Amino acid sequence: MTLGTQEGRQPRAVADLLPVVPVAVVAGGGMAAVVATSWGLMPLYGEPTPGADGWRQVATDLGPAVRETLVLSVGATVLALVVGLGIALVLLAGSPLVRAATLAVLAVPHLVGATSVLLWLGDGGWGARLTGADPGTWPELVAGPWPVATVLALAWKETAFVALVVLAAVAPGHRERMETAATLGARPLQRWTRVLMPSAAPALAATGLVVLVYSIGSYEVAWLLGRTTPEPLSVLSFRMFGSIELLDRPAAAAAAVTGSALALGLTLVAVAAGARLGRTLGAPS
Amino acid sequence: MSATAATAVRRSATGLALLWLLAPLLPVVLWAVSSRWSGRARLPQELGLDGWTAALDAGLAPALVRSVLLGLAVAAVATPLGAWAGRLLGWRIARRPRLLAVALVLPVLLPPLAVAMGLDVVVLRIGVPGPLAVLAVLTVLALPYTAFTAAAGFARVGPGPEEQARTLGANARQARWLVTWPALRRSLALAGLLAFLVGWSDYVVTLLLGGGQLVTLPLLLGASASGAGNEPTTAALAVVAASPGLLLLVVAALVLRAARADATGRSGRMAR
Amino acid sequence: MTGLALEGVRHRYPDAAVDSVHAVDLEVASGGMLALVGPSGSGKSTLLRVAAGLEQPTAGRVLLGDRDVTALPPERRGLSVVSQRPHLFDHLDVTGNVAFGPRVAGVPRREARTRARRYLDLVHLDGLGRRRPGQLSGGQQQRVALARALATGREVLLLDEPFGSLDAALRSAMHELLGELRAAVDPTVLLVTHDLDEAALAERVGVLVDGRLHQVAEPGELYRRPATLTVARLLGGFVEVPGTVVPTTGGPQHRSAWGCWSLPGDAGAAGRSTSGDAVLLVRREDLRLVPDGPRDGHPTGPGVRGRVVASRRRGVRVVVVVETSDRSRVEVELAPREDVAVGTPVGVRPADGAAVWAVDAPEPDPSGTTRHTRHAADLPGSGPRACDDALRD
Repeated sequence: MTLGTQEGRQPRAVADLLPVVPVAVVAGGGMAAVVATSWGLMPLYGEPTPGADGWRQVATDLGPAVRETLVLSVGATVLALVVGLGIALVLLAGSPLVRAATLAVLAVPHLVGATSVLLWLGDGGWGARLTGADPGTWPELVAGPWPVATVLALAWKETAFVALVVLAAVAPGHRERMETAATLGARPLQRWTRVLMPSAAPALAATGLVVLVYSIGSYEVAWLLGRTTPEPLSVLSFRMFGSIELLDRPAAAAAAVTGSALALGLTLVAVAAGARLGRTLGAPS
Repeated sequence: MSATAATAVRRSATGLALLWLLAPLLPVVLWAVSSRWSGRARLPQELGLDGWTAALDAGLAPALVRSVLLGLAVAAVATPLGAWAGRLLGWRIARRPRLLAVALVLPVLLPPLAVAMGLDVVVLRIGVPGPLAVLAVLTVLALPYTAFTAAAGFARVGPGPEEQARTLGANARQARWLVTWPALRRSLALAGLLAFLVGWSDYVVTLLLGGGQLVTLPLLLGASASGAGNEPTTAALAVVAASPGLLLLVVAALVLRAARADATGRSGRMAR
Repeated sequence: MTGLALEGVRHRYPDAAVDSVHAVDLEVASGGMLALVGPSGSGKSTLLRVAAGLEQPTAGRVLLGDRDVTALPPERRGLSVVSQRPHLFDHLDVTGNVAFGPRVAGVPRREARTRARRYLDLVHLDGLGRRRPGQLSGGQQQRVALARALATGREVLLLDEPFGSLDAALRSAMHELLGELRAAVDPTVLLVTHDLDEAALAERVGVLVDGRLHQVAEPGELYRRPATLTVARLLGGFVEVPGTVVPTTGGPQHRSAWGCWSLPGDAGAAGRSTSGDAVLLVRREDLRLVPDGPRDGHPTGPGVRGRVVASRRRGVRVVVVVETSDRSRVEVELAPREDVAVGTPVGVRPADGAAVWAVDAPEPDPSGTTRHTRHAADLPGSGPRACDDALRD
């Protein structure tokens, strides 16, 4: 394992791009391919048949799918930010046990989290057993009208992520900032609202965007815990991709492209809004 | 707020945080050790390792091996690549830092499902073996994590020590190996761990591009969980799939406890 | 107008074996300034933090005016603090930072910002109001921190080594600024510093060593009459001559290897014992080098013989180290343009009119306390008079 052999610090232009190449090939190529597939340009067999057939086929399902995707993504993001912030505050006060638990949760695969939520909130789940609910009276949290279980499962692991990032952003200099604010007359609540929250805001915004985008693209959690109609975009596109009907492939690709566009679009909006916010507050150096 | 009230709030907040983080895993643990837990019972009626036998029958062992190998493979490729990018970013010597940053952020933004879907046809047509395609995609997915972790490490260490070594007579390679490398061990280990977890946890890419040969632990778990009535099996699989996390919990708890015992700190009256 | 007082303040960190501050009594007059000096670790920052409410004393009281604020948290005490690092809030611009105090006190935003701009004017930073902390230099940031503390409108200002991280030129500019601010706003100031020149800006200076207050006096007095050897060593520039004080008919005399120094007695001074082991203190600049030779007529008076063993430059002058016959070393600053070769035998004697002071020799003491009693006051113009004995080797 080497890091290159050239002398001096300045790498050659080619070497500079070394990490970019795999991303361009895999991610860029993959995206280009899926867009092409959605327009019928990359069938599994035979000649390409360019056209909007794939899009037309999935058109009626796209609306509800987008709505469902947004509901669960925004829900998971909000929950992850709120709880994540709370955990970050607990971590600020210093608790090795919570810190260890946060790191551990971060290392648990999403699918395991989804399984756990299923075992808790499903019809025969532990939640129903512990509360002694009669069969049929346990609310439909899994595969119900609202994606409660999906949101909880997605948010659960992401709270650990949010907590650690916010902690890293806020912890350095925290005590000094709080003391300074106190000597300037700020009462405890004011210290939180006027100093602590603003200093956590950038980290919250960044992690919120990451969680939002991840939730839009996430498959296995929604697949395990969600209902069959309407499906979020990822579940819809995967199902159609695996169907026997070869003609479903372009439609599946179209759904996947929609999800990607949603993620990218929201990112661009958020970055632009962040840039504008930075300018109005006076651009930091 | 008085001091005792503040301590009470802090204690309950800590308890709630622990509850939120750890309680979700409780039913998994319970199911994994129960052989009969029927009806409306609050706790398992019989304990046993039936779930584990069933899991082994379903292919737990080979799946575990495949998951470990996949994780290690992703770490092996994504860590050096990430270290390379991290050096460019952390020491600010990239010719086109914007391009590099965008390239590294892209895999986080794009849904893996879409990328895998697009590559499926390409892979089939070109004839790339499934596992290789999976490795390629997962490496790209892990790259942001390894690169930014490594970048933080490089930024912290700085090119200073390496340049100093050069003035003391070491050539470029020696300087890197003997000076910068050891200083970055922890960051690179963390980067490797993150890459491993990406490979270990992945479901959709392995499923889509694996071509049916690459039945890893998450795939087995997914199949079991979406079925009905095999909770013990599912739980056993889930425990194994969560084992890196559980291991990390134990290790981190021990390490952090020890670090806290060592640290002597001033404690002013003001806690916040 | 409010003064600041610390009564019997003791402090110990929870996991410490000894007190960091031992029963300190300190008072700053309303509108006045007291500087607290001492070596690192002397407890002066701790004392300031106790005054601010950031640490709780194990005993004693903090009084603002006649209000006992010991039990109050910092935000309710009515004083403001500026520390060595400015700790500006990154999420606010400069005006927002300075307006923070008024804002949390309930002043509406616009009015608070107007008020902030006035204080920014005071520190000569008008025009930079919209900048962010990260865009300012260290000195500018510290000025913003000063303005921010003053904008709270509180009457007591605590400064914890506020200019310590600035270079010498900036520091003197800051000293001037402090003077301007005191004239404009008239706060009561407690300044903690390890820089003696900075401390001399204050009306009174307190010397804190190892958590104990050795002396509180106006700056000139400190140099003329240091209360203890520790204080003298902290101030620097004194030559120590160990010996004993002996009461004689002509007044107390200090006898040592240098001869006899008359310490003009002042009956009212301290009224403590005037005999025993004592260290005589002479300002280094009050010593002169004289050529040593058998035919020179020695004027009577204390002095010592030795040889020059080292010499170094300090600015335009030369400082030589003379080793005396009993192996002790004395530093002497030569007159401008004077120089002496290493190895020359010389004599060292005080200049005419040199003022001397004597302090108790420190007693090695398990608890580290040094009893200090003044021995004699000096009278200007009364230099050391000769003993009956002539110059001794």
